[in-house]
Amino acid sequence: MTDDKLNDLLSDMDTPPIDKNAKKRAMNLAMAEFVQHKKEKNQQEEQQNSDTGTSENNQNSHQGFWFWVRPISNLLNASRKNLMMTLNNKLFYSGVATVSVAVMGTLLFQQTYKPSVDLSSTILHEQSVGLSEEIALQKRDDYQGQAIVIDKQEILTEAKSPAKPASPAPQSSIAIKENNLASTSIPSPSANEADAIISAPAPSIVLEDRSRLQSPALGASENKSDLVTTKSFAQEKAKAAKSLTPVEAEIAPDIIAQQTYQNEGRDRFESVEINPIKLVSEEPVSTFSIDVDTASYSFVRRQLNHGVLPQKDAVRIEEMINYFDYAYPLPESKSQPFKSSVVVHPSPWNPGKQLIHIGVKGYDIAPTQQPRSNLVLLLDVSGSMNSPDKLPLVKQSMSMLLNSLHPDDTIGIVVYAGAAGQVLEPTPVKEKQTILNALNRLNAGGSTAGGEGIKLAYQLAESNFDKTAVNRIILATDGDFNVGITNQEELKGFVERKREKGIFLSVLGFGQGNYNDHMMQKLAQNGNGIAAYIDSMSEAQKVLINEATSTLFPIAKDVKIQVEFNPNTVSEYRLIGYETRHLNREDFNNDAVDAGDIGAGHTVTAMYEITPKNSEAKPSIDPLRYSNNNEKEILEDKQASLRNEYGFLKIRYKLPNEDTSKLITKTINMEGELQNNKVDKEIQFATAVAGFSQLLKGGKYTGNYNYDNVINSAQASKGEDKFGYRTEFIQLVRKAKTAQAIR
Amino acid sequence: MQDDDLIKQAQAGDAQAFETLLERHYDTLFKFAFKWCGNREDAEDVAQQACIKLARGLEQFRFESSFSSWLYRLVINCAKDWQKSQTRHQHTTEQEIALVDTLHDEQPDKKILIQQLLNRLDSFSEGMKETVLLVHAEGFTHGEAATILGVKESTISWRIHEIRKQLQSMFGQEDL
Repeated sequence: MTDDKLNDLLSDMDTPPIDKNAKKRAMNLAMAEFVQHKKEKNQQEEQQNSDTGTSENNQNSHQGFWFWVRPISNLLNASRKNLMMTLNNKLFYSGVATVSVAVMGTLLFQQTYKPSVDLSSTILHEQSVGLSEEIALQKRDDYQGQAIVIDKQEILTEAKSPAKPASPAPQSSIAIKENNLASTSIPSPSANEADAIISAPAPSIVLEDRSRLQSPALGASENKSDLVTTKSFAQEKAKAAKSLTPVEAEIAPDIIAQQTYQNEGRDRFESVEINPIKLVSEEPVSTFSIDVDTASYSFVRRQLNHGVLPQKDAVRIEEMINYFDYAYPLPESKSQPFKSSVVVHPSPWNPGKQLIHIGVKGYDIAPTQQPRSNLVLLLDVSGSMNSPDKLPLVKQSMSMLLNSLHPDDTIGIVVYAGAAGQVLEPTPVKEKQTILNALNRLNAGGSTAGGEGIKLAYQLAESNFDKTAVNRIILATDGDFNVGITNQEELKGFVERKREKGIFLSVLGFGQGNYNDHMMQKLAQNGNGIAAYIDSMSEAQKVLINEATSTLFPIAKDVKIQVEFNPNTVSEYRLIGYETRHLNREDFNNDAVDAGDIGAGHTVTAMYEITPKNSEAKPSIDPLRYSNNNEKEILEDKQASLRNEYGFLKIRYKLPNEDTSKLITKTINMEGELQNNKVDKEIQFATAVAGFSQLLKGGKYTGNYNYDNVINSAQASKGEDKFGYRTEFIQLVRKAKTAQAIR
Repeated sequence: MQDDDLIKQAQAGDAQAFETLLERHYDTLFKFAFKWCGNREDAEDVAQQACIKLARGLEQFRFESSFSSWLYRLVINCAKDWQKSQTRHQHTTEQEIALVDTLHDEQPDKKILIQQLLNRLDSFSEGMKETVLLVHAEGFTHGEAATILGVKESTISWRIHEIRKQLQSMFGQEDL
């Protein structure tokens, strides 16, 4: 490793932006410490001041004298205990201990000392020397210990002239004590720099933990100046908490310490059987609702980027296919909001079978014709959102969204955690700073009362309802609703009723580990919105800026597709994907049945794999032995022209403000429609995505088709790829291949 | 107001001056702590510790060196203390990588590399990590790093040389 590389790597290491809350927290703690320190210092100074002067004279004449009275056993124990208990603050307490021994010693000495008994005093003195040596050993680290050792000699000299020490009065010995105390404790900061600094963390760690718990409260308050005063830290916090605004105060108590959800496998997906092969003779009609969501692709991408294959239930083939924008022919006018194109081509994974490719391209609204938007952002700030890929990403995504809105659009913000609260009343986008400020104030913590939040968001959207505008709630969450309306059916019903009033709901999913995909799908489907999964800034960019118009402006709702297959030409069919969007045959003409929506400029792709009659492909389902269905008879009954058709395509849709549906029909000819080379490429790419998705789902019907086929076919057809999404797809396939290999 | 004046006032007990000092230098503390730890949470912890230590330790500043180099030494001490406390409940490297990975999804390889490098530096002998970070991450000269760490300039040069040797043998020559 060269210097340059090291320089490059380390100096380039992009430090994240400084978290204001963390900074404030650190500063508050430091200020508290500073104030505390100042207080201690002042106390010491006071003590010193009161001591100096009175004791100076006595110090010299009596210093060390009291040490030789130490051997009184119970006193020694007491001082030992003290030492043990106060190891941390030994500088201070050992002084106190020594002094207390000294005082007692002096008193006792006065009582026991008799000048006539010279002999006993020397014995006493000898003992004292031995014991004080012991003490000196105990306190080896303590500089007081040295003092004791030195004192021994003084004791020796003093013991020889016993008449002299009889004089000390009680007051003066107390003076010694106090002076000693002062002399041990006061010089400590300067003499023992290292110790003073190192001993600081012990108390402060406790403080730090406490501050973590309450930090949002501290962070929220703008209370700076008061810390300067000598009030205690706790009082300060109480004050800070009081100064919160009502909305914040409501949320603050619920905000608790860091909880990051790391565990995998708690993501919830609905388990749906992959669409089976069906016999045309038994079930000639296939009906489903379109799906323009893209959540599944982003989730799969995230998993693959972490080197693991996604759960099979997480893969929804149609969402994988529809993640990409395909250049299908555009509709000519707004009156018919979308145009369908049908292409038939051989199936890459089953020789002899055919793929019917139905592409729908929505009309794109020019920026000037876009209606006004009345948006309410409903943001989840519960504890589970406390992770770098959740709330911070939500905030960033929402500020990105601001850029794709018009100045006169309005935005309101509702947050929910343990309780729901309005953070920002509907505000025009031109007051951008107000909105950004509101966003930046958000913190994560508490449980998740999603249901309540939704109610409040709808109230807000209704209060600002504009008939000509697009009224939409954008919910950003990890899908974890655990308080309030938790019953999915109830929530669904609620969203449905509001949809009828003209307020739509879109869902943006964030994070992993606790991701409730099923709930989000249900909500978005019932709220006439999209469900997208945002795993990175680039995905936010895609959904909220590049595709903002399709995310925000619906051009058709309740779009259903029905295909009737021609039993003369097709023996079996299989719908690829759309498992969760299955509709009953009779639902197609029933306008009361809800279905998917198309936003401005959206593309939707559906694929059928069919087994044509008399083809080289072996039918997957054996013919019935006892069926009286004579194929030839049917053929004779029908007109010759019908032998040319694979089936009949019907699309029903409603315009966004209408309640009755319109119908588009089209025959599916054996040759499909003539398309140009560009569209062929698009279709090849869509087929590669479909193949990949099916492989991820277990590859039940894809034969020998493998990841390399996907890569080759996608590579050949990726085309211009302006935003790089298709190149990324090819990378993902490679990652899947690696993940599969090491499994 | 100059730092020196602020420090004198803070040493005399002026809390306002101390707050201004903190406000000014927190960013530097945090950035260096981040380079040491490699992730935000830990870096915030270390920076916080450093601020608290500063509250008690400021009066020991004698204007013998520049304040910023004195601060660097403070952060290094805090980071080392933090590291000691971390060894008790060490994360697995895997978790760390996952964390770094989620933070910077777009360049996972580089982040992992940095994390590996930091881990590697931890395993070196005393004084190595701070030397590398000061010289390579903060761009100090050997002389400046020597002042900060309170050692001779030749010691710094020797350490850098030694580190280069060791890293080479560990990471090998390929693509580094």
